[in-house]
Amino acid sequence: MAAAVAMETDDAGNRVRFQLELEFVQCLANPNYLNFLAQRGYFKDKAFVNYLKYLLYWKEPEYAKYLKYPQCLHMLELLQYEHFRKELVNAQCAKFIDEQQILHWQHYSRKRMRLQQALAEQQQQNNTSGK
Amino acid sequence: MLAISRNQKLLQPGEENQVLELLIHRDGEFQELMKLALHQGKIHHEMQVLEKEVEKRDSDIQQLQKQLKEAEQILATAVYQAKEKLKSIEKARKGAISSEEIIKYAHRISASNAVCAPLTWVPGDPRRPYPTDLEMRSGLLGQMNNPSTNGVNGHLPGDALAAGRLPDVLAPQYPWQSNDMSMNMLPPNHSNDFLLEPPGHNKENEDDVEVMSTDSSSSSSDSD
Repeated sequence: MAAAVAMETDDAGNRVRFQLELEFVQCLANPNYLNFLAQRGYFKDKAFVNYLKYLLYWKEPEYAKYLKYPQCLHMLELLQYEHFRKELVNAQCAKFIDEQQILHWQHYSRKRMRLQQALAEQQQQNNTSGK
Repeated sequence: MLAISRNQKLLQPGEENQVLELLIHRDGEFQELMKLALHQGKIHHEMQVLEKEVEKRDSDIQQLQKQLKEAEQILATAVYQAKEKLKSIEKARKGAISSEEIIKYAHRISASNAVCAPLTWVPGDPRRPYPTDLEMRSGLLGQMNNPSTNGVNGHLPGDALAAGRLPDVLAPQYPWQSNDMSMNMLPPNHSNDFLLEPPGHNKENEDDVEVMSTDSSSSSSDSD
């Protein structure tokens, strides 16, 4: 009985921990947040670095399927390198990453727009040649 | 005893017989030796023949050895490649995911514009490919800091966690803070101790999550 109760509280704790770690690992996709952490010296803390290494479990498919922002995994991988962590202290580094991320984010919509434009032009040509 | 002195030139008659007998005896011995020599010669000849045989067998064995070695090498390569193939098969099987799940996941991440920008996005749009400050603060992580301290922090934008002290934020749960996990979906490492350093490190690590929650009161905001 006591064991069951203990298990329950343990499970609840685990659930909370799961959600917290899920949120935190996705926050790592935000380069401004990474800059924030870097400037406050979190990346110099060995325990924090170990924690980042521990968070790599989110790469497994059974865990990754809960991620809404899978880009965070790439940032997590980069964060394993000390050089990257050191670079993140600069605001320009974070800004650059941010810009590139947004540009990449728009990649598909740009592609689609181009396709649509090409299609529209083709249709126009067909119309003019048909007439 | 049979040695004849060379100084003796005159042989006495009695001694002639002795000498003759000695001679005959010697001759007999020589004959024996000759027979022996012949016999030994035959044996020697046989030995040579046998040696040649042995050499032939030796070379046969060496030839076989070479062939065996080649065969072994070929087989070893074949076995190695087969093992590699098996490994890759195993790996592929391990990573097998049902196509339905993949499609479902693709829907999930695209529907919320997490990986693809909304078609109407213009540079002033606050939406981003990562969780924004607002979303971060309104999540469980942001609410973790005690909501009792109110308005201590004047700098709100860009100060994600420290400014989790916003008790009035009743923002809806965003889908990236998913709650729909099954019971056995637990984070692997239950230990909260990420300090693997020996006693030189004096920072206490009570709860790994609380390490993230900063207790710095004033923080400069970074513009988003």
